[in-house]
Amino acid sequence: MSAAHPIPRHRAYRLLVTAAFRAEFQYGGNLLLTLAGGVVAQSVGLVFLWTVTTRFGDLGGWPMAEIAFLYGMRLTSHGLLVVPTSQLHSLDLAIRTGEFDRYLVRPAGPLMQLLCRRVHLPTLGDLATGIVVLSLAAHHVGFEPTPTALLYLGLALVGGALVEGACQLAVASLSFRMLSNLALRGLIDDIMNTFGGYPLKAFPDTARLALTYLLPVAFVAYLPAGVLLDRADGLQITPWLAYGAPLAGPLLYAAAYLLWRAQLRHYSSSGT
Amino acid sequence: MTSPRGLAPPRLTLRQRAVAHAGTAGLHARAQLAYRADFVFRVLWLLLQVYLLALVWRAVYPESGTAPAHGGQQVTLATQLAYVTYASVQNWLLTPAGLAPTPIPQRVREGSIAVDLSRPVAFTTQMLAAQGGIVLAAAPFAVLALPFAVVAGGARAPASAGAASAYALSLVPAVLNALLLAVVVSMVSFWTLEAVGVFMIHRVVAHFFAGALIPLWFMPSWLADLAQLLPFQTTTYTPIALYLGHIHGTGPVLTALAVQCGWTAALWLIMRLVWARALHRVVVQGG
Amino acid sequence: MSGPIIEVEGLAKEYRRPVRVEGPLGGLRSLLSPRHVTKRAVDGVSFALAEGELVGYLGPNGAGKSTTIKMLTGILRPTAGLVRVAGLVPWRERERHARNIGVVFGQRTQLWWDLPLRDSLELIGRLYGVERARHRATTARFTELLGLGPFLDTPVRQLSLGQRMRGDLAAAMLPEPRILFLDEPTIGLDVVAKERIRDFIATRNRRDGTTIVLTTHDLDDVERLCRRIVLIDDGRVLYDGDVARLKERYAPHRRLVVQLADGAGWHGVRVPGVARDDEADDAPGQVTLRFDPAGTRVADVITAVLARHEVTDLSLVEPGLEGVVHRIYAARGAA
Repeated sequence: MSAAHPIPRHRAYRLLVTAAFRAEFQYGGNLLLTLAGGVVAQSVGLVFLWTVTTRFGDLGGWPMAEIAFLYGMRLTSHGLLVVPTSQLHSLDLAIRTGEFDRYLVRPAGPLMQLLCRRVHLPTLGDLATGIVVLSLAAHHVGFEPTPTALLYLGLALVGGALVEGACQLAVASLSFRMLSNLALRGLIDDIMNTFGGYPLKAFPDTARLALTYLLPVAFVAYLPAGVLLDRADGLQITPWLAYGAPLAGPLLYAAAYLLWRAQLRHYSSSGT
Repeated sequence: MTSPRGLAPPRLTLRQRAVAHAGTAGLHARAQLAYRADFVFRVLWLLLQVYLLALVWRAVYPESGTAPAHGGQQVTLATQLAYVTYASVQNWLLTPAGLAPTPIPQRVREGSIAVDLSRPVAFTTQMLAAQGGIVLAAAPFAVLALPFAVVAGGARAPASAGAASAYALSLVPAVLNALLLAVVVSMVSFWTLEAVGVFMIHRVVAHFFAGALIPLWFMPSWLADLAQLLPFQTTTYTPIALYLGHIHGTGPVLTALAVQCGWTAALWLIMRLVWARALHRVVVQGG
Repeated sequence: MSGPIIEVEGLAKEYRRPVRVEGPLGGLRSLLSPRHVTKRAVDGVSFALAEGELVGYLGPNGAGKSTTIKMLTGILRPTAGLVRVAGLVPWRERERHARNIGVVFGQRTQLWWDLPLRDSLELIGRLYGVERARHRATTARFTELLGLGPFLDTPVRQLSLGQRMRGDLAAAMLPEPRILFLDEPTIGLDVVAKERIRDFIATRNRRDGTTIVLTTHDLDDVERLCRRIVLIDDGRVLYDGDVARLKERYAPHRRLVVQLADGAGWHGVRVPGVARDDEADDAPGQVTLRFDPAGTRVADVITAVLARHEVTDLSLVEPGLEGVVHRIYAARGAA
């Protein structure tokens, strides 16, 4: 009889994550520089907004402090997502090299194993930048940390992470059937990163609607930030959708996971 | 210990070296073209950037349609949109895909650097030629993208015949400076293979200070002064500002061109210096 | 526990692969209107394995070997047919199935590339929920048997191929799986490493009763380890049975290699059923004879040779599996 026994999923996850971090720290050395790279890369968008607003005033009626709050929420959500899931980008690679086969012969979920194959340390820079920007901006906009507001903020941050994650997972699932869609995934990431931190109100209706319903960018941070900043009336959207924005994340992620499961069946291992 | 230079065959003639460099450039250009599909998506990314920047400028611009820049000059929205479009496309062309600014880090990691070192032409100019080939491969895509970028952003004819020729002249040092900067920065990989952080910072800093997001004329004055002191503005801001006639009059135009060429010379020297140190490392550590 | 541990019946796998569109914007066009080709890699394979068997699963490149193994291990979902391994349908009950099997792919490692080997073994133990004391004991035993000691603390990426392979084998066997799948376990290894690995495999099979399915191009592995082989080509089973019987059927002949003394000529032997082998690559002064031991006694042949020739050396050659397999593929290719 085999000596193997089932173990709970959370324990498997903890094992694999710990291993990934240990592997990454074996290289050590450039950790600080790598983090700095993440911080600088994520700050430039804010510097752009700050430069524009110092010269021209507000954007879509949002002053700089509120834009920074929105930007900080977006970036924190993004950080919360990419620290544990950066390896989704390596799915193409894992399939091409046959590494994915290994995930399928081990007693743990293949998605979990993919996400734990490594950690990408610059993502910690994203998260850190997001938290710092959000905290400073919260102070500047006079954010009242009531329990309700904090709870809504927390849910919105996690929800935002899941909205972005759902888009990434859904597109990544296509890898099981397509030779390569890395570039397509990059494009969706770019749209999220480029538009996610802006008050969409400043943009023409077509762009705003596309970024709300075609690709749910608005649900990442714009709508919940509007609610927290008492701008719900100016969001040009049914209030319940704005207030319920944090729920979009879990719903979309569940749908994306179902798609992943369905596409996984089409996996045809590389080579012979 | 013999230095690699001691092993080298007699110096090649100028003609032979030109042929060798053209060959290197062609090789890298063709290698790039293997990723045609990636170019399609990179172009889409470029168009997105232009579109976003245009949206922001349209949203913030005053009703009157003009805004004062440094030195009291008025900049119309049309000029600003044209700037954003041209600067984005030009900077996109000069900034190749991938995290590392040149193929050097990959060649060091794979060890193919030994092949480069054994060639009878200087490593630094070889890498410049390689980088030139990569930019050249992207050029047709930039040309194709331009009309779409113009739709997403805006366009303007050159301010005058003089502005057009100044732009054409300034393109030469602009391209050279971009290549030199990329080669210098990627030589970090002779010291460490894990230089992701350095490359990320370089990419972002170069993008911003080149004026690809905001022209120097709309930066707060201290930031604009800082940008003027750095080499990055010579790759993007200077040529486009010349084209749009924002830099005009014989004196300022000549100064701008002189600054560009000065940076070319300085970056060349820096590259040689860094390379001398790097070569020392390669020889001592045996690659 | 009777009944086969592995049951395969009418197993088939078709691949539908997208075709890349050439020409300008090829990538985008293949994305928007993908075209596909279908290839039947495995086409109605059936066999059954009893618990404790050690079977060689052979075939030329592209015969469908790896595809079969991938269906048996739960990596791929069959297009048609039935697979049952230890009572489970691999792809449907993947994680339960994974706890029953060990897998080693010779070409790529299952270990954590950047971590010391010791950490990988430790992780495997925990991931498979192996009881601590048992895990420690097994690790110690395998470290001894496979000689892992000297490189237990080396990151896997720095191991030589032979060391890595031994590490992989230990990792696959640590959870003491009921079935072990080995795909080219000795590829690229030196003689000493090969021997060590074969010993380990043979012992696991003999002592622990582990059922082993071995895919390899190295027929020495098969001769040394397997009693039974399943031979496939073009997605179908060509032969399933004893190695010895396979040789009898496809290569019934023995060869007698005669080394003549200097200057001596060859005058032939007059024994019925003995002929000079045309295929043999004889050196000067060397003669190879061919005969069927079922009809002709070896002693008669030798006596006849010695009676008419001055001979410095004689050797009797058994047919190698290599030649047999070559002959089968060649015959099939000609058909």
